[in-house]
Amino acid sequence: MSIRHGLLALLERGPRYGSQLRTEFESRTGSTWPLNVGQVYTTLNRLERDGMVAQGGEDDAGHTLYAITDSGRTELRTWFEKPVDRTSPARDELAIKLAMAVGAPGVDIRAVIQSQRRHTVKAMQDYTRLKAQALLAVEGGGARERDDVAWLLVLEQLIFQTEAEARWLDHCESRLIRLSATAATGAPASAPAAPAAPAAPAAPAPPAAAPNGPTAPSTSIAPGTSIP
Amino acid sequence: MSTQQPVLQLQNLTRVHGAGATEVHALRGIDLAVYPGELVAVMGPSGSGKSTLLTIAGGLDTPSSGRVIVEDTDITTASVKELAALRRRSIGYVFQDYNLIPALTAAENVALPRELDGTSARKARVEAVAALEEMGLGHLADRFPDEMSGGQQQRVAIARALVGDRRLVLADEPTGALDSETGESVLALLRTRCDAGAAGVLVTHEPRFAAWADRVVFLRDGAIVDQTVRSEADSLLSGQVAEA
Amino acid sequence: MKTWFHSWRAAIRIARRDAWRSKGRSSLVLAMIALPILGVSALDLTYRSSELSPAERVERTIGAADARFRDAQVGGVPIFQDPTGDIHTPVKEYENEPWPSGATDVTKAIPAGSTVLTDSNASAKLTTTHGLLMTEVRELKASDPVARGIMTLLDGRFPEKNDEVMATSHFLESSGLSVGSTLSARNFDRPYRIVGSYELPDALGTDQVNALPGAFLAPYAKAVEKAGLPAPDTSLSYLVRKAGGFTWNTVKEINTKGVAVVSRAVMIDPPADSEVPLYQKDGWGNYQSSPAAGAAELASLATVVGLAMLEICLLAGPAFAVGARRSRRQLGLVGANGGARSHIRAIVLSGGLVIGIAAAVTGTVLALILTLLLQPVLESTMGQRFGAFDIRPLELLGIALLAVLTGLLAAIVPAVTASRQTVLASLTGRRGIRRSSRVLPLIGLAALLLGGAVALFGSTVSEQVTLVAAGSALAELGVVAMTPALVGLFGRTGRWLPLSPRLALRDAVRNRGRTAPAVAAVLAAVAGTVAVSTYMASREAQNRAEYEATLPYGVAAAFVQEEGGRDVPAVREAIQRQFPVDVRADVERVSVGKPGCPPWGGDPACGRYEVIVPRANECPLYASLPGGGDPSEKYTPEQRRKLVTEDWRCMDSASSGMYLSDGGLVVGDAKLLQVLGVDDPATVKALADGKIVSFNRALVQKNGTIAIKQITDIAAADKASEENRPAPGKVSSLPAYLVPGDQKSYGLQALMTPATAKAAGLSTVPMGVYVSTDRLPDSEQRQKLDGDLAKLGSNVELHLEEGFVNDNGIVLLSLAIFAGLVTIGAAGIATGLAQADAEADLKTLAAVGAPPRVRRTLSGFQCGVVAAMGVILGSAAGLLPAVGLRLTEERNQIRMYEQNVAEGWSGELTPPHVPIVVPWETLAGLLVAVPLGAALLAALVTRSRGALARRAAT
Repeated sequence: MSIRHGLLALLERGPRYGSQLRTEFESRTGSTWPLNVGQVYTTLNRLERDGMVAQGGEDDAGHTLYAITDSGRTELRTWFEKPVDRTSPARDELAIKLAMAVGAPGVDIRAVIQSQRRHTVKAMQDYTRLKAQALLAVEGGGARERDDVAWLLVLEQLIFQTEAEARWLDHCESRLIRLSATAATGAPASAPAAPAAPAAPAAPAPPAAAPNGPTAPSTSIAPGTSIP
Repeated sequence: MSTQQPVLQLQNLTRVHGAGATEVHALRGIDLAVYPGELVAVMGPSGSGKSTLLTIAGGLDTPSSGRVIVEDTDITTASVKELAALRRRSIGYVFQDYNLIPALTAAENVALPRELDGTSARKARVEAVAALEEMGLGHLADRFPDEMSGGQQQRVAIARALVGDRRLVLADEPTGALDSETGESVLALLRTRCDAGAAGVLVTHEPRFAAWADRVVFLRDGAIVDQTVRSEADSLLSGQVAEA
Repeated sequence: MKTWFHSWRAAIRIARRDAWRSKGRSSLVLAMIALPILGVSALDLTYRSSELSPAERVERTIGAADARFRDAQVGGVPIFQDPTGDIHTPVKEYENEPWPSGATDVTKAIPAGSTVLTDSNASAKLTTTHGLLMTEVRELKASDPVARGIMTLLDGRFPEKNDEVMATSHFLESSGLSVGSTLSARNFDRPYRIVGSYELPDALGTDQVNALPGAFLAPYAKAVEKAGLPAPDTSLSYLVRKAGGFTWNTVKEINTKGVAVVSRAVMIDPPADSEVPLYQKDGWGNYQSSPAAGAAELASLATVVGLAMLEICLLAGPAFAVGARRSRRQLGLVGANGGARSHIRAIVLSGGLVIGIAAAVTGTVLALILTLLLQPVLESTMGQRFGAFDIRPLELLGIALLAVLTGLLAAIVPAVTASRQTVLASLTGRRGIRRSSRVLPLIGLAALLLGGAVALFGSTVSEQVTLVAAGSALAELGVVAMTPALVGLFGRTGRWLPLSPRLALRDAVRNRGRTAPAVAAVLAAVAGTVAVSTYMASREAQNRAEYEATLPYGVAAAFVQEEGGRDVPAVREAIQRQFPVDVRADVERVSVGKPGCPPWGGDPACGRYEVIVPRANECPLYASLPGGGDPSEKYTPEQRRKLVTEDWRCMDSASSGMYLSDGGLVVGDAKLLQVLGVDDPATVKALADGKIVSFNRALVQKNGTIAIKQITDIAAADKASEENRPAPGKVSSLPAYLVPGDQKSYGLQALMTPATAKAAGLSTVPMGVYVSTDRLPDSEQRQKLDGDLAKLGSNVELHLEEGFVNDNGIVLLSLAIFAGLVTIGAAGIATGLAQADAEADLKTLAAVGAPPRVRRTLSGFQCGVVAAMGVILGSAAGLLPAVGLRLTEERNQIRMYEQNVAEGWSGELTPPHVPIVVPWETLAGLLVAVPLGAALLAALVTRSRGALARRAAT
């Protein structure tokens, strides 16, 4: 629902045309959720159908301008006031993966966790770097300040979400370790989940691995974030 | 960059506390190198050996075996006196809290290592004030620690850690006693200093703060189990945008 | 060198700010160090200011004159004198000839063309508002420029007429007179008006009256003689002013005329000892200072200063230890930032340095201010005006340096301890169990053993008291050094104690760094006190055993010998009035010559008497031989021993006691016997029958009489005695009654009634009074009597037998109080520090639900534990040297006794008794009362409630 409401929020400041809306949306969310113009126009059509926007003439270049209606404003207010629904959590691939890994034969769950953690932290590092740049931009001030602040908030949302995931991973790991320890003392025969020593990435990365060296850029957004 | 000489090198470092039944292996065969301009975060659960690693790297503790090389000096063989001199000239520490000597102003705190090293009080002060100003802390120069906020204190501590010729900052949970936003500002400063050429080792258990590092080393049971390497900053998004 | 300086500057800055941040602790230590410095500096200032330069001293003695000429009273024979003119002796040796005596005409020695001013003085009894006051009357024309500087005019003017005088301010004060009053002397009814007051800058406490030359003394002497009394001795000297002054050579020349000279030139620039003929004479060395005495003085001064510094260090040490402890994190940070051990040491030492310097400055400045402010008080206490306010920067600096040194010394141990800790331990704040140094207790043990051995050797083998003292001191220092280890031993006893004392004891033992110095401070003070107390108590016991009463218990006696007993009635009356008199016995003495004569003659018109001891009754050991020499040498030790133990003439008990008059002869009635407790009816009857009652067998002749010889020609008698002949005189023999048995008579050897004396042709004059009292006069009565007697202006000998009075009581008490104060102080400091240290623990205790009073009881016990440990160790350490000293003394006395017996000098049959008495009261007070008091005090001043809320902040 967020594109719908995002467009309404942008239109509240004044009539816009389609591609203008797309640009503004992306600058605010730091291209985290990229939109294509088609998506924008589809959404605008639906909004128009629901009576929340209305076409309001053309600008000098001949673009069709859309303006928000009163019912659109009401909808926007309601959206801002209503908390984000948490009752039906989004399906999380990682959670499902870990749930399946417990007890699965031939799977080292700690290796799964660690590789996920590395990935998560690395994503966080990337976000943080972007954030550092955003911070500099915000401190530098300028015309785009409002957009920068918005971008910063979005970035931080991502960071905190990844952090939550990292912490959850830490928690999973220590829980599994404790369980395996209890199991080992209780019934040494059946040690289901975690071997005491990490199996997979035991070898420490060689120091020569260039810290800033080119590594394969991550092409996917960190799991757990979903784009509507 | 990899052609540069590392500022800090840990080679096959082990540390055993106690002996016999109470023997605890705090570190087992750690190898790590930190290069100029690099900020390395060490993460791990409690008791994984993070702090031990840091104290040994700074010469506050001695390893059971292995070598610690700071700027070409093997500090495992250095005398107590030489170690002290090394801390004055090469290694800067930032602890979780109460980093500053309450009896000294911010500028004097920053000047302390230089003064201990025998620089005249005036010269040390000029350097200290310059260092503080460079980090945007000039207005704090004449304040006493109890007249500063926690974040300000930590930032002054970072300034002190890098005053003079010191290029290596060892920070042990520097944000532990701070709220999220203030902690961020401290790490941002650390990041800036590293970008300016210093080498830093940051021990933390908060992924959010570790994420400020160029490299995150995962420590478990005294051994490095994994590490991340930061990708080029913009690749993350540019790739996505291109894809979209 | 330069880097060293810079890093020290940083250390001092930290220390200075730290001292400022913990003001309470700093000011405590500062006061401890500054107080003695204040005292010593003030003492130095006072001493130096009162010490006059030669020029100042000359001005005060001879004014503006060039010299003072004084008759040496050797009949004008040549003399040698010392440069100050104080000591002189005839040039010639007079071994077997009479010493020359008599006046010479000093004026003949005064060079022509000099200005001369006479300065004479004599004593006179002057009337005051209260009564009479024996006062020095001086005739010096004080207004003369030559005399300027001798007397300082305070008020009024100099006397200008013959009936005008001026008086010292002290005289005015004690006489109750003032400027403008009239003054006269006894037996001399010419009135003088006081026109001014003055002071003698060197002797502020002198009662002196100044008159114009010839205005008082000559007429007064005439009047006194007319009254039948001997004229007062007048001493006369001449202040001489002559251009060019008097050099040492001139002085020596004048000496040949029998005149001693105080010369300005010589005083200011004294000649070398080799140029002083007096010093070349046998036995007339310059005694002013011998290097050995100087060294001994210096050594004892150094010891006292050293001990005081040790005590202060011990008291201040814990404060630094706790300071270092509380700033552990800070020191750790310095370490993490590259502070080497030397830097850490420097910071803690700087704490001592900073406080030491502050204490030095405070102490010195306060001493200067106080001495300046109190100058008049100090001057009147010393009875002397300061010359100039004399500040000796070097000496003050030296004293101030002692303060700095003390501060540094007190901080040394904490500094070393702090620097030994690893940076990591300091940073993580892990307390751990700090092992105390193992070397120190070992050194202490060695010192204890060595000192003990020396003391043991001193007290058993040699008789050297210094050896015992030195050994004991060494052993004591050893115990002080062993304190940490001993404190550790106390910890073992804690297991079965209840919570608060157990916590207190554990805490004290675990934190030896702060407990041990406090315990050692208590130990040192208590050990000293116990040692002195034990020694003094033992001495007291010995004195009590050896005490001999001068009179029966509760009996008072007063005698006036001068002026023919003119004031005796007044004295008798005063005693009757002020004392609870039971029986009063008035006594007289036999007088020969004018009634106003003193008993020992002196005036040509005065004679004396002798009670003749028959040759046969003299102890052959002491009887004078015709040819001179020591009579006892004729006998072998065997014979001597026999004589002193068996021959009644030599056993010599009846003639012991108070000296009353020649031969112990007193004129009185039976009441005297009653007062002295002689109730033998035969004696009383014999007295009534007109016999002389004698208590001394030696006085009684073979025919049962006592012979009294009246000597009127003293000169002839003296000549006879020089030639070992009996003196010429009229002998009266009186029938005597020898009191049987060994009756104690307190110096009274022969007694007769006035009627008997009269009958025998002996004139008598009143001598005094004996009274027995219903109860011992109290202090108030005695003070009143003293006041009454003082108003008479006479020299009254007053005896009151109160039995054995311990004069050391007050010393013992003040010592015990001193030790108690040090104990409470040290324990208090340690407790305060422990409290500061244990704040976190106390909060934990409170958090787990301990009642608020635990805080109180804990601090009470902490204080008590320190006090008790120190007192127990100190008592043990203090008893030993005292016992050692007493043993040494015993050995000394027994050896002397044995020698005396062997040589036959002593008739004592029992060996000397040298008891060792432990002063249980003092000891009990120190052992029980002081720790208890300290504990209660600490508990009282501790707040019950600590702030639980501030748990987090440390």
